[in-house]
Amino acid sequence: MAVEAVAGHAAEAAESSIPELSNLLSVLGGRLHRNPVVAFLHHYENPVFAIFVALIIIAIAWRYGRRPAALPRGGQNVLELFVESMDNFVQSISGSSGREHVPFIGTLFLYIWFMNLAVLIPGLKSPTSSLNTTIGLAIVVFFYVQSVGVRKLGWAKYFDHLAGSPRGVVGWVLVPLMLPLHVLGEFIKPVSLSLRLGFNVFAEDVLLAVLVGLGISLGLAMRLPVGLPLQVFVIPLVLIFSTVQALVFSLLSTVYIALMSPHEAHGHH
Amino acid sequence: MEHGGWTYQMVLALCVPLSLALAAAASAFGLSRSVSTALEAISRQPEAADKIQLAMIIGCALIEALTIYVLVIAAILQAKITG
Repeated sequence: MAVEAVAGHAAEAAESSIPELSNLLSVLGGRLHRNPVVAFLHHYENPVFAIFVALIIIAIAWRYGRRPAALPRGGQNVLELFVESMDNFVQSISGSSGREHVPFIGTLFLYIWFMNLAVLIPGLKSPTSSLNTTIGLAIVVFFYVQSVGVRKLGWAKYFDHLAGSPRGVVGWVLVPLMLPLHVLGEFIKPVSLSLRLGFNVFAEDVLLAVLVGLGISLGLAMRLPVGLPLQVFVIPLVLIFSTVQALVFSLLSTVYIALMSPHEAHGHH
Repeated sequence: MEHGGWTYQMVLALCVPLSLALAAAASAFGLSRSVSTALEAISRQPEAADKIQLAMIIGCALIEALTIYVLVIAAILQAKITG
């Protein structure tokens, strides 16, 4: 906590715009900025931390998921608990025919959740606090949803769905209105997904950084050797919001997939 | 450009906190409605409490996201107040 406090103070003194916590790469990049490798890593700190989080998830799955025992215990139990709850979650929205999307949605949720929580570990940064990462995730969801639509419905029914399923005279007359609206809606959905996730995680980041700076100022004013850890008062909020935002992202992706699938699961249109 | 002595920094300093307060108030209205309806539904049917709570959390996250958009714009504009 003291290292983060000092590093945060250095970050605040460096740029007086929106305060951000320093991470390992920004501290290294500040010291060794003439080294091309360090400069490269510092410039691409979001993908570096995203790959790091992915490697951690892979390591956990490797350690506890290989050679699953028939009677699970310990780490395998936790993994099975997670997989089962994701299974129930996706099935509650898209019915039993939605089970084939559980791996995608489960991975999405776990990855986003761990990336959101990464800011709580001193020295790391949430890759999802930057719009670049979240737009990448939303583009993946967009292409997955459209490909599910085309694969499940076939090209004819896919365009029919996009045009609002015209059945009678009223339906066909409204097609020039419904088709652009639907297509625009399909593009707006990933934009709103990415902005919601990115801004929420960025706001948590800034909140932590502001409180760290405040704690340091208070500590200096009280002539302590370290700053006060004021950010612990806001860590429960960060935990809750990180989980909720990952949940909302996966839930909306599941809803979009369910909307694009054949219509026996839900009944509108 | 000055009109009667107002600079854009003064206008920003007036409007940015005001916009944030407006967004917070509007979001408080929306959230209070959603939470109170969820509480009534739970009191009416305690065995469905888990599902209702889940739906309430998701609804609150969606409403909160709108306030967060305003917060981020306010944070960006606030840096311009002191030039």
